[in-house]
Amino acid sequence: MKQGSTGAWVAMGLGVLYFLLPLIATFEFSLRLRRGEYSFDAYRSALGSGEFQSAFLYSATLAIVTIVIAIVIVVPTAYWIQFKLSWLRGVVEYITLLPLVIPAIVLVFGYIKLFNTESWLPLTGSAFGSDVLLTLGYVGLGLPYMYRSVEAGMRALDVKTLTEAAQIQGAGIGTVLFRVILPNLRGSLLSGAFLTFAIVIGDFTYASLLNRPTFGPYLQRVGAARAYEPAALAIMAFAITWGCMGVIQIVGQGGRASRARS
Amino acid sequence: MTGATLSSPKTGARAFSLAPWLGVAPFFVFAVLFLIAPTFSLLVGAFQTPQGDFTLDNLWRLGQPSIRNSYLLSLEVSAASSLLGGLFGLVLAFAAVRGGLPAWVRPTLMTFSGVASNFAGVPLAFAFVSTLGRMGLVTLLLDRGLGFNLYQHGFNLFTFWGLTITYLYFQIPLMTLVVAPALDGMKKEWGEAAESLGASRLQFWTLIGLPILGPSLIGAMLLLFANAFGAIATAYSLTGPSLNIVPILMFAQIRGDVLHDPNLGFALAFGMFAITGLSNLAYLALRARSERWMR
Amino acid sequence: MSKSAYALLGTVALGAMMSCAAPAFADDMDALVAAAKKEGQLTIIAVPHDWCGYGAMIDEFKAKYGLTLNELNPDGGSGDEIEAIKANKGNKGPQAPDVIDVGLSFGPSAKAEGLLAPYKVSTWASIPNEAKDADGYWYGDYYGVLALAVNSDIVKKAPTKWADLKDPMYKGAVALSGDPRTSNQATMAVYAAGLATGEADAAKAAKVGLDTFATLNKAGNFVPVTGSAATLAQGTTPMVVLWDYNAMAARDNLKGNPKVDVVVPSDSVIAGVYVQAISAYAPHPNAAKLWMEYLYSDGGQIGWLKGYCHPIRFNDLAAKKLVPAELLAKLPPAENYAKAKFPTLDEQKAAKGVVAAQWDAIVGATVAK
Repeated sequence: MKQGSTGAWVAMGLGVLYFLLPLIATFEFSLRLRRGEYSFDAYRSALGSGEFQSAFLYSATLAIVTIVIAIVIVVPTAYWIQFKLSWLRGVVEYITLLPLVIPAIVLVFGYIKLFNTESWLPLTGSAFGSDVLLTLGYVGLGLPYMYRSVEAGMRALDVKTLTEAAQIQGAGIGTVLFRVILPNLRGSLLSGAFLTFAIVIGDFTYASLLNRPTFGPYLQRVGAARAYEPAALAIMAFAITWGCMGVIQIVGQGGRASRARS
Repeated sequence: MTGATLSSPKTGARAFSLAPWLGVAPFFVFAVLFLIAPTFSLLVGAFQTPQGDFTLDNLWRLGQPSIRNSYLLSLEVSAASSLLGGLFGLVLAFAAVRGGLPAWVRPTLMTFSGVASNFAGVPLAFAFVSTLGRMGLVTLLLDRGLGFNLYQHGFNLFTFWGLTITYLYFQIPLMTLVVAPALDGMKKEWGEAAESLGASRLQFWTLIGLPILGPSLIGAMLLLFANAFGAIATAYSLTGPSLNIVPILMFAQIRGDVLHDPNLGFALAFGMFAITGLSNLAYLALRARSERWMR
Repeated sequence: MSKSAYALLGTVALGAMMSCAAPAFADDMDALVAAAKKEGQLTIIAVPHDWCGYGAMIDEFKAKYGLTLNELNPDGGSGDEIEAIKANKGNKGPQAPDVIDVGLSFGPSAKAEGLLAPYKVSTWASIPNEAKDADGYWYGDYYGVLALAVNSDIVKKAPTKWADLKDPMYKGAVALSGDPRTSNQATMAVYAAGLATGEADAAKAAKVGLDTFATLNKAGNFVPVTGSAATLAQGTTPMVVLWDYNAMAARDNLKGNPKVDVVVPSDSVIAGVYVQAISAYAPHPNAAKLWMEYLYSDGGQIGWLKGYCHPIRFNDLAAKKLVPAELLAKLPPAENYAKAKFPTLDEQKAAKGVVAAQWDAIVGATVAK
């Protein structure tokens, strides 16, 4: 394998510049709370209410559950579409694009109308039910990204041959999916997981209208009508979300070695 | 790979033909309950008056010059940010996956992209204002350090191109994340085989690489397009009063303090829904063509 | 009987009547408090803590009555609140708003759509007639006037009139707090700029205002960014048009870094009234009524004043000398408020219609690609 090509280094360098400069500018601004000198006062002020940890953990937990549910729904679907039901591809892909063009507020009001206390499935009536509704809503929000990611990865696998080879050895469909296909999708699943995690942490509309104490409403409450604290919170949220993704990355890579078939 | 499949015992074949439908059932149940049903109220609302009677008036009003221009502007911003985002995202993914860089670069890029892809709205708008705004960090550095005043040379963050540059902050990472797994699938052996048959790198990419990657690339860019099309929070904070994109119009009707005609808002959303449907069809057509290369 | 005897008799009779009335009122209140406590919670919507001192009032209400307060969508606008009532029609869970606080024009339209339940608070009589619905469906709660929040570290000489904004020294300085097509604060700013030229008719004033902003935009004085406390401090929007209470809250939150002046332009003072209402589908109607009683009590009204909003019963409270002097000192001079124009519903509608429809054509069209 050749040493990193200059092209790759240049591309990375430019990328780093583009992505880091706005963060540096935000960070610099967040240090300016105290007149005339740099200080971490904005951070202290923002963390003062003490709800940072509980709100973040709440969101992070919802995010993990969302990712698991999304994987369970998306992987078999992508598999069967690729393998047998390719004529359904267009329909499925279009459905996954819906959360991007339908405004979040319309979707959440739709959920309230469908699942309110007088409906067939009164999820809004209890805290747990609202959590379930919120999680499933998040699965929907993350669907476009999870699906594209998994589909791109699965397309690169020779699904037909893998399945037939496994079947010859006596594998049932469950084994095919979970012990043959899934380990080969590690990269896609991680990509989808990252995107979903970020979406859940960053959500405000769903949680706020369903009255659940997640990170988004907390950020809004602390930062509204202020100048320096929102910048501090943005930097902290960025750093911590990045850290959590690092953990997901390590967990995802550290699993049993994939039985790669090249 | 030939077209012949190994025959399975009869009972196996019959059991298997039900399996695909069971396999996709969770998705469709979920989709109906959590994606299609809530959208339905929007679709119905687009055809209703506030009193609930059926009307095509809302859709008719979409033809007004201001709304038509708004759709055009939205299409332009979305197209620009998805094409550029697609290009730069692909370049970055390529550099990370096949550029021979140290091993820690790829996971770092992927995790960073995960966060950056969702860094939008007020924080992103503010970050760019404090970087490239009139009093921004970079603007001031260039002015005082190198004597080069961006704004005097015609640059302005609060324009179409400024918004596009800001949108790239979440478009590029999205592309990188979605496309990297596809790049993984480009097996080294194919490159080696092509080389041993005398193909140049260019030939490899134009005859083998791009056609194979093509569908994933176009699909990813369609995702970027839809993502930009529906994005509102960043635009509202950055260029709110000056650029007239569709989500802001929708915001005005459904959520705003001034006008309040939700049915027109639903009609605007219906228009977005239809445009995304059309672009999806275009994508399917393009993909069917590029997949002919595979056979 | 002698005059003094009549006076004495009158006073005794009045005292007797009042002591009879007082227990009756206290009983009603007690019954309401008990019913509200039984409901246990109240759901409010679109109430930022820094808006009109709501944060402190929420805490006080919770401490006083022990109810749980569900706060939905603090970022929301008036349109959001109406849509939330509609979406939650069948829902008795904590996602359904009990009470709303919306712009004046949303009161009558919500009543027409059957979304409100009438209620007249005990201090109903002291609310000015122009600011309430005769049947009790909606009632004004507070008002403020449009002001300029000026970053005085950057802008050395603050403007005193709308007309001053055209001055070349304010290049790259003037910003609105939102999109005039969606935000009430921004639309009224355009209207105010038009009224400052002397044009009295609402629609025409709005058009003149649009022309003014178009001039400001061409001259480079107008910055087409949504202004906020953050951009004010950062320097991109050194002057932002805000309701005076929002401007003063921003000034306080910035704690002198940078120094912020709050200026009410003298050539046109526009007042904006917000109204309270109870949802017809409120899951906790008694808690809602208790909230209203709290808001319209002397203590509640002063709470808004602490947030720099003028409570609707301000004149009544001032007459009874219930307004603390130090609070009055913190507000902008009273002369500005004396000149304030309260646009009627029709005038607001006309102005908003013109601004929302023509902003793009007249002002936005010059934005470069």
